Amino acid sequence: MKEELFISGRDIPNIDPFLHIWHWQIPIYLFLGGLAAGILFFASLFTIIGKEKDMPATVKWGPFFVPGALVLGLFMLFLDLKHQMFFWRLYMTIRMDSPMSWGAWVLMFITPLSFLWVASYLKDLIPDWNWKYKWIEGFLEWFRNSRTPIAWLMMGLAVVLGIYTGILLSAFNARPLWNNAILGPLFMVSGMSTGVATVMWISKSHYERKILGQIDILLIVIELFFITHMFMGMRAGSEVMIQAADLFLGGQFTVSFWVFVVILGLIFPAILEALELRGYKVPIAIPALLILIGGLVFRFVMVEAGQITRYLY
Amino acid sequence: MGLLLLVTFYITGRGLGASGAAKSTVVATINKVAPEHAQESTYYSKFISDDNHPLNQWLVFEVIGILAGALLSGALSNRLKFKVEHSPKITSGRRLVFAALGGLAFGIGSQFGRGCTSGAALSGMASLALGGFIAMLSIFGSAYVFAYFFRKNWI
Repeated sequence: MKEELFISGRDIPNIDPFLHIWHWQIPIYLFLGGLAAGILFFASLFTIIGKEKDMPATVKWGPFFVPGALVLGLFMLFLDLKHQMFFWRLYMTIRMDSPMSWGAWVLMFITPLSFLWVASYLKDLIPDWNWKYKWIEGFLEWFRNSRTPIAWLMMGLAVVLGIYTGILLSAFNARPLWNNAILGPLFMVSGMSTGVATVMWISKSHYERKILGQIDILLIVIELFFITHMFMGMRAGSEVMIQAADLFLGGQFTVSFWVFVVILGLIFPAILEALELRGYKVPIAIPALLILIGGLVFRFVMVEAGQITRYLY
Repeated sequence: MGLLLLVTFYITGRGLGASGAAKSTVVATINKVAPEHAQESTYYSKFISDDNHPLNQWLVFEVIGILAGALLSGALSNRLKFKVEHSPKITSGRRLVFAALGGLAFGIGSQFGRGCTSGAALSGMASLALGGFIAMLSIFGSAYVFAYFFRKNWI
């Protein structure tokens, strides 16, 4: 390399920061994290308002997906790390201004909590289950008796987890697409919607599916409002923001976002759910699957597009 | 069908199609699994370019829309359930095998004829293309001839 021949700094290889460093593992993790947060939020909510009996899939069976989703999601995060052997350092510090620190700690609490929640309902799923040790039985007995305060804790942690999956992105001020305050709530609502879709899919009770269908339509409406609001905010922003929004309004992500996320992942399943609520027979798997795929595509598109947007033009 | 075609021409500026979506899917799959083979093949390479993904075609989205619309229409008329419609004299398995074979033959044929019933025949005839009329006559003429040999599957 002949440094004396460079005529401008921008010609030097890698002088522009290399921003495309997050790969397929991150959107999968964001999806699984949001899904887990959604399931746990509604499991706690219906426990707190005393509806365990009416909403068995929401409170008991849905959370059985959560430990697996969280462990798989954390494994995805681990896969994406550059220095994998130093992951434990996240737990040597607490930084209030770092979303990663918040996320690491919230996962540290909510993952074991989700295991305990599932363990406390395991005998309902497998009646012959035997914990072998008395102290485990005793501990789970205590867990069952104090379920309401624990549900309050879990609901709070689920909200933090759901918002954190969005804030993880929006805290990067180097990437204009992500750097907006609506992304946290948007990811939380989207995660809740995927969680509700999962529970709705496995629920066998007509009453429960009806309640969840209503909640899901509400969540989808809120999500659509947030999406509109996000793009309106960006269009009214600085030039980099406008260029970031243009990726979705005519640019290369227009089709994947509007067709697969907004139309097929939100509006169309909402119509199908509305039809089902009005008494038409719609196999619940179809809207549920569309919402799940829409949520996954949404995260892939946001992670991919966000890394293209930047301040250096 | 005629009105639908008219509206399609008015809104999109082009005709309808169906086999093109299947073709795009095949091209995209081959290009993903065996990119070298796809780029060497005279047929596949025509549909592969660097600045457009093979699946980024109007027909692909049209077919997704057809699926979604059919689902909605089925839900609205309470007909959404899994079943195989067939003549009482044959089994569901036989019906599915013959449908798949017929679809396969039609797919290959539509590529020789550069379009299927909707793309070549209907849209072609609507724009008064001679090829459209020939395609329509060939499709329905050969269907008439071959129906004789396969009629036992229905009646």
